[in-house]
Amino acid sequence: MTNSIAELEGADVLLVTGSNTTETHPQIGRNIITAVDHRAKLIVIDPRRTDIAKEAHIHLALRPGTDIALINAMMRIILDENLADDLFISMRTENFIALRDYLHRLDLNELATITGINRDTIHEAACLYARSSKSVICYCLGVTQHTCGTDNVQAVANLAMLTGNVEKKHSGVDPLRGQNNVQGACDMAALPAVLPGYQNLADIDVQERFQTVWGRKTPQIPGKSLTEMTHAGEDGDIKAMFIMGENPVLSDPHLNRVENTLKHLPFLAVSDIFLTETARLAHVVFPAASFAEKNGTITNSERRVQLCPRAIPPIHNCRPDSKIIMELGRRLNCPGMNFDTEAEIMEEISLLTPIYGGMHYDRLAKNWGLQWPCWNRDHPGTEFLHKYYFARGKGCFTITKHQEPYETPEEKYPFTLVTGRGSYHHYHTATMTRKSRRLVREYPEALLEVNKEDSDKLKLRDGETVELASRRGTVHIKTTITDRVQPGTVFSSFHFFEVPINQLTIDAMDPKSKCPEFKVCSVNLRKVKHD
Amino acid sequence: MNKTFIPSQANICEIIHENEQIATFRLELINKSIPFAFLPGQFLMLSIPHCGEAAISISSSPTALPLIDLSIRKAGKLTNAIHTMKAGNQVGIRGPFGKPFPTETFANRDLLFVAGGIGLAPLKSVIDYSLFHSSVEKDAVQSMTLLYGSRTPLDIAFQSTVNNWQKQGVDCRLTVDKTETDWQGNVGLVTDLLPDYKLTDNTTALVCGPPVMIKFVIAQLSAMGCSDEAIFTTLERHMKCGMGTCGHCHLDGKMVCVDGPVFSLSQLKTMDVMEFSQ
Amino acid sequence: MIDLKEMILSKDNLIPLLRKLKKDARLIAPVQNKYGDTLFREIDDIDGTEIDLHNQPQASLKPFFLPQQETLADYTITNGEYSFTPPAKAEDTIFFGVRSCDLTALLYMDLIFSKPSKDPTYYDRRNHSLIITLGCNQPFPNCFCEATGSGPYLEYGYGLQFIDLGDRYFVSAGRGKGADLLKKWAYFFREVNEEDQQKRYQLFLEARGQFTRNIQVAHACRKLEKETVPEEIWEKLSRRCYDCGGCAYVCPTCTCFSIDDMILDAKHGLRIRTWDACTSSGFTRMAGGHNPTDRSRHALKRRFLHKLKYDFERHGKASCTGCGRCIDICFGGVDITTFIDLLTTQTQKKP
Repeated sequence: MTNSIAELEGADVLLVTGSNTTETHPQIGRNIITAVDHRAKLIVIDPRRTDIAKEAHIHLALRPGTDIALINAMMRIILDENLADDLFISMRTENFIALRDYLHRLDLNELATITGINRDTIHEAACLYARSSKSVICYCLGVTQHTCGTDNVQAVANLAMLTGNVEKKHSGVDPLRGQNNVQGACDMAALPAVLPGYQNLADIDVQERFQTVWGRKTPQIPGKSLTEMTHAGEDGDIKAMFIMGENPVLSDPHLNRVENTLKHLPFLAVSDIFLTETARLAHVVFPAASFAEKNGTITNSERRVQLCPRAIPPIHNCRPDSKIIMELGRRLNCPGMNFDTEAEIMEEISLLTPIYGGMHYDRLAKNWGLQWPCWNRDHPGTEFLHKYYFARGKGCFTITKHQEPYETPEEKYPFTLVTGRGSYHHYHTATMTRKSRRLVREYPEALLEVNKEDSDKLKLRDGETVELASRRGTVHIKTTITDRVQPGTVFSSFHFFEVPINQLTIDAMDPKSKCPEFKVCSVNLRKVKHD
Repeated sequence: MNKTFIPSQANICEIIHENEQIATFRLELINKSIPFAFLPGQFLMLSIPHCGEAAISISSSPTALPLIDLSIRKAGKLTNAIHTMKAGNQVGIRGPFGKPFPTETFANRDLLFVAGGIGLAPLKSVIDYSLFHSSVEKDAVQSMTLLYGSRTPLDIAFQSTVNNWQKQGVDCRLTVDKTETDWQGNVGLVTDLLPDYKLTDNTTALVCGPPVMIKFVIAQLSAMGCSDEAIFTTLERHMKCGMGTCGHCHLDGKMVCVDGPVFSLSQLKTMDVMEFSQ
Repeated sequence: MIDLKEMILSKDNLIPLLRKLKKDARLIAPVQNKYGDTLFREIDDIDGTEIDLHNQPQASLKPFFLPQQETLADYTITNGEYSFTPPAKAEDTIFFGVRSCDLTALLYMDLIFSKPSKDPTYYDRRNHSLIITLGCNQPFPNCFCEATGSGPYLEYGYGLQFIDLGDRYFVSAGRGKGADLLKKWAYFFREVNEEDQQKRYQLFLEARGQFTRNIQVAHACRKLEKETVPEEIWEKLSRRCYDCGGCAYVCPTCTCFSIDDMILDAKHGLRIRTWDACTSSGFTRMAGGHNPTDRSRHALKRRFLHKLKYDFERHGKASCTGCGRCIDICFGGVDITTFIDLLTTQTQKKP
């Protein structure tokens, strides 16, 4: 997030796109709702009529996968209405003319048709967003999990820069991170192409610095992305894999390929707090300690590094992840892996990661942690980003063009399947949440959301089990008839191993981010029993 | 009577399979010195080890004591578990709980029973109880008519019981929603049987079945002129304690487990009940 | 003969008194932990523990009487036979530093758990308890106990009630155990004089004047007696309820529970009682899947009507004690004060 979470409450216009915020980020959802109560206007872009869409002043229920067309249309309208922030554009950005010329060549009616939204509604939303100087955009996986995910994000950035809604408090572009510490994992370079703190792998100075501390040469070429690893197939070039706290056998797209890859690995080790479906395939399983059994930090969506002190000692033989890694390191003769405390690990992070430069345990213990960048011990942390400059200097407008999803509905597979989280009762593949009796009671089984129009056509009763098939697989799933999805679209979650919905999803991915298109694939729906 | 959370042990002495989904479990308390009495319409909390408890209405007549029948349809974890048990196995019971049907007001009345599926279970207790009383005292009831709906002929439960009732003078009329077999009887919803019933001022109607059925039957009975005080139904709710404390069976300020499960239509009309709202 | 109903305890004598009390019973009092959270906990070392009488305890007394999870019985299955053993008995416990709202809540729970017969485990703990309250001279920011008639000072229900007069406590004794204690440890106390009485009254008036929230509880109760709540209000509240159960768990008068079997091994298990929340859809859903409550519209209907309508009808008093805990915990912003505000401001608009 370029903003802090609390800033959302002060925004005048909130544009939420591809995020079911109230269910997937309830805390942030609360801030958005509070802003609405304080008379902010809420625009929601989502093919589904989610709870937050019901709270919206304008709900843009677009056809799945047409975000770029919609945002291009909004930008064109902003130009036509003279609502662009010319000063911001000239001082802080480059390549505007190219974007402007491109937008002027677009036909608004055509764009409206692509998105399936009325042109006037788009116009209203565009003006609402552009007229306020405190407009904020929140986006989530509905934007990124597409074959054009990177371009979607670029389009969102273009929109914010065009209206100058970035550099200040209460306005910015806020990707909502999906897991409590996914931001921290990215910061610590759990990404294929960077070193901790997003430092360039190829930068000689950076390499040298790491080499001095680590006593080893850092990798010179980028590694593989998750999907590339889990979809390598039986004779991929990966010979051994160590998976920590992930359950790709349920969470990755096109599951049959994932399972095939993992089953043929010469060596697979998994560390997790429960024996997950993935851990069952492993040669070695490390029982890991849960968050409550270890010390450490968690970095949240607003870049805030927070201390999470241990509440109970580890149960039985479980060990904190850091201990597992250190022990592995020791046996692999890796130098510099003998940290005594978590604070000592943090000291090395501060040393090697400029944005974490001032993050020390004693400071984090006070006042709910610190937000990066925090360059040194005296730095108070950063509330919002891009105040005077962007990371690359000037913000660059890049033209983004609409492209159809990899799969579009056709005769054999006439429905579009959107996947996401089903409710706040379950988290991801539910390896943790299904251990709770109460959560299971609240959301006991997988459900497929079907629009009433479609269910009438197929003569489906509410709660009837159907066969859902894509080109890649078939599952049986119980339906729920609802107006949350549009006709022609169905939605389900990936929480339940009994209904591995990702056997259906596609492994086509964004060429840049390698993020698979979880949000769109074509499926068919068939009645199972007749009575 | 057991009003604590500690169940009393009971033996399953007999299991009668009523249809594919429903069986009647005949229980007897192991400790026979525990005083146990109930009236038709009351229910028990049934315990199965490792499965917890569920509220089940008693389907036998108090006159059959010390034997207690529970007719159970497979629906959740506990009810599926009891269907795997055998005669001689042990279960726990607490109760009885709830308000019974006002059987004391049934003298000289024409009783009309309208049931759907497993909904016949609590009414069965009333019918057996009334039959017993008619056999020993004159004018215990004037007449008894049963309208019983099932989904298909294969789903008809309590077949032999119904045959026996027929022999003892209960006018039993059956119907099925649909059929693919050579069923000779009525096809249609149980409400289709109502117009043929001669409703009088002397009729007391007892209705039990799925919520939708209850709703339509009650509406039709009212339309036929049956007074609100003469229509009784028994409601099903999620229950945990049976004593009005746990809160699960709340119904507009009342607790179904102590203020019900038997309610007259006049009582229901003063409440905000989901079954009857639009 | 001095009147043992009201006495003065010098603050210097507080620890000596508690030390004596601790000899015969467990002592439980609010203590601030190292993360800044004030919670009731057992005091083992009275000299090494600082009792926190300045902050509102984050949890009420509820967990001590109706624990979040408690064993109702443990069961054993041997050769198909099924036997139950009730849990161990409670110990004598003295609670010190309890706020008026939390004692009021406990008195309400006494009613709930007395029907149709006394709940064995609840009353076992209750009979072994003595409550020493501390009247609130300064309401906390979310408090509105004045509107619910459960504070800032109490008239009855306590074992002992302490009122802080600066350098001393004005102590009132309730019937039974409280009066006995005062008699037993009379030498720690002195008699009440006119100035003490004056000061106590003065502080009471000041405390009442310091509430920052004006919640129309009585107005809401009377309105609910006569009118049905517009569906839009229920729907708006339900849309914003996240079903986290937080309100029910922190609420000192929410007593709904669930009973389940916790399997220990093939032959042993525990029948446990756990807190439950009527805001969740599984609370009313039946085994077959039918649910008599539509959560999307009525998630909070039962919660608010129970507190403000049904209990008002039954006991003449709403079962909200104005402790304000649900205000902080609710992240949908739909706590009971939101409902009362929505309900009562609506009337004012309508002629």
